[in-house]
Amino acid sequence: MFSSFRQAMAWLHTWFGMTLGFILMVVFFFGSLSVFDREIDRWSIPETRFEPQVMPSFDEMLLPILRSVEPNEEDYNTNMPLLHDLSQGPMTPRTELPADEFWAYTTHRDPVLIMGVGFRVPQPLDPEGHNHIHGNITIDPRTGKALPDDQLKIGSKFFYPMHFSLNLNWNRIGIYIVGIAAFIMMAALVSGVVIHRKRFREFFTFRPNKQTQRSVLDLHNLTGMVALPFHFFFTFTGLLIFASFFFFPVTHTQLEPLHKYHEMVEANETGLPHDRAGVPAEMASIDAMVAKAKQRWAEKDMPGEVGFLQINHLDDANSYVSIYRAGSDRVALVGEGMHFSGTTGELIREEPPRSAIAEVEEFLTGLHLQHFEHWLLRWLYVFGGLVGAICIATGFIFFVEKRKRQHTLQGSSGSQVVDALAVTTVTGMLVATVSMLVANRLLPAEMVGKGYWEQVVFWGSWSVMLLHAFWRSSAVRHMRISPAWREQSILFAVLAVAAVILNWITTGDHLLKTAFHYWPVAGVDLSLLVSSAIAIYAARYLKKRENVAVNKAIEFSAQNLEASRG
Amino acid sequence: MVEIVCWVAAIFATMLGMASLSLTLPNHWRQVTGIETSLPSRSEQLSLRILGYSSLVVALLLCLAADHPSMAVLVWVMLLSLAAKGIATILTWRQHWLKPLVWLFNRTELN
Repeated sequence: MFSSFRQAMAWLHTWFGMTLGFILMVVFFFGSLSVFDREIDRWSIPETRFEPQVMPSFDEMLLPILRSVEPNEEDYNTNMPLLHDLSQGPMTPRTELPADEFWAYTTHRDPVLIMGVGFRVPQPLDPEGHNHIHGNITIDPRTGKALPDDQLKIGSKFFYPMHFSLNLNWNRIGIYIVGIAAFIMMAALVSGVVIHRKRFREFFTFRPNKQTQRSVLDLHNLTGMVALPFHFFFTFTGLLIFASFFFFPVTHTQLEPLHKYHEMVEANETGLPHDRAGVPAEMASIDAMVAKAKQRWAEKDMPGEVGFLQINHLDDANSYVSIYRAGSDRVALVGEGMHFSGTTGELIREEPPRSAIAEVEEFLTGLHLQHFEHWLLRWLYVFGGLVGAICIATGFIFFVEKRKRQHTLQGSSGSQVVDALAVTTVTGMLVATVSMLVANRLLPAEMVGKGYWEQVVFWGSWSVMLLHAFWRSSAVRHMRISPAWREQSILFAVLAVAAVILNWITTGDHLLKTAFHYWPVAGVDLSLLVSSAIAIYAARYLKKRENVAVNKAIEFSAQNLEASRG
Repeated sequence: MVEIVCWVAAIFATMLGMASLSLTLPNHWRQVTGIETSLPSRSEQLSLRILGYSSLVVALLLCLAADHPSMAVLVWVMLLSLAAKGIATILTWRQHWLKPLVWLFNRTELN
């Protein structure tokens, strides 16, 4: 089929890239935004615009709040009938479920504290199972006041899941689609290096003044090669994070009994009770345990704050408390967990030093998940992600440029469709993203289901951009540049400025006030303004190129006419 | 504050390194000298390479001075990408910025 290895690679690179590249575009762009997901959260929920706090006193502030949390109604209605054994009696009413587990989580970038309760199902169908109904709460750790939990955290609860699951939750189909796209990314990287290997001799070349096909290919190769380590490592570690999910989803299917047995063995080895004793008991002071854990970390030469705290088997003789360190100062995601007896407050177990394999694994996943505190590296990741997006987008444009003449002569609409889809995933995605931010500022905070409507705006505006791109794409058939590129750039530029102004009007926070004082909001505003300026520049440049292309298209049709006459 | 100085220095060091390495490639050498027929000689190539790689090593050391080693390596790798992109941009629109480097190794070409 192919006369050389290089040709085979070119085929693979072109067609796999063309089909799954659209997904990769979404993954790269929202991955770049996810680097600053918590900052976008601050922008979108103004009540939470304050400095990150350390975890407050558990005994005095958090415990009373956790005791007052009720099981989530939706979770109860969906899962209670599945978990409860009706033969033992009627379902326990929602508000009477006993709490079994408390947890609290914070990071160096989260001013808010997220907490939750796992409620026990008293008469479960499967006593061995994980029988929990959940109830979560977000509080202001300075006062203990509950913050509205129903507002959508646009950064960490929409853009970030978009990055790894496209927010398609039905049977986790989105995660599988992204997984397949990531595999293809690996293949595209290797095949790309094979087909463009000659380009290493002109590594730093970009010739914007050559014809479009040439300069686009320059940019494609350049952005692919300069950030090759980034592309490779992020694709690889992304797959690694979901490895157990993609490769071995068997622990909870075929191997479920073995998995449960392993849990028991582990409980035996670690001394952390797997089950409740059924004997009620008083809890010891959690704050004392926190102090002890901090002291142990300091002794191990890694002083730190608490990131995650969990109480298991609450109010039971078998209760224990797990305290993990906030990992903000190193790449590897290490919790250095300390486990205490809940009733006596004694240290039962300290996690032993990790094996070399675990250390490598933690470094690799940590470098992708970036819980660390390092603003320069975060921006470098944004740079890497956006360079990746450029690489993919130029791939599409090259595909179109290379084929549009031939497609026009054959009467095929192939390049027209690819161009329209490229417009949708490049400028259309930007418009959808910034529309969501505008909607966030326009819809009133107390509106019921605000988050839902923000998502409607996101998907709705993206669909409109898709229709617009197809409507305007006939230009490609006539060898011109689709005006949709320029029009959507202008729309994006306007919306981005509107978002910044609306933020000012609705919250009073403008750049003069936030710059140097509150970077999360100033950073989002500044990025929007810079992107807007780039979009305007791009639109003006496209206008110039469109005019050149019109002249060329006229020449082309004149030649065609002559050819058909002659 | 110390780490910011180290990072800025590291950015310059990676840029210098990438610039020197770019000049070892005949295409880019010609772009900077502006002379179609000129080529870097073997000794020029060698000295550019030495300067290039040693600047990159200096950048790594600067990164290590600023951060925990695991973090420093990541910063360094990302700075390499940034510098490569930066030098490509300079070679496209501001080739003459790299003339001092050519001049450092070769006084005759530019006169």
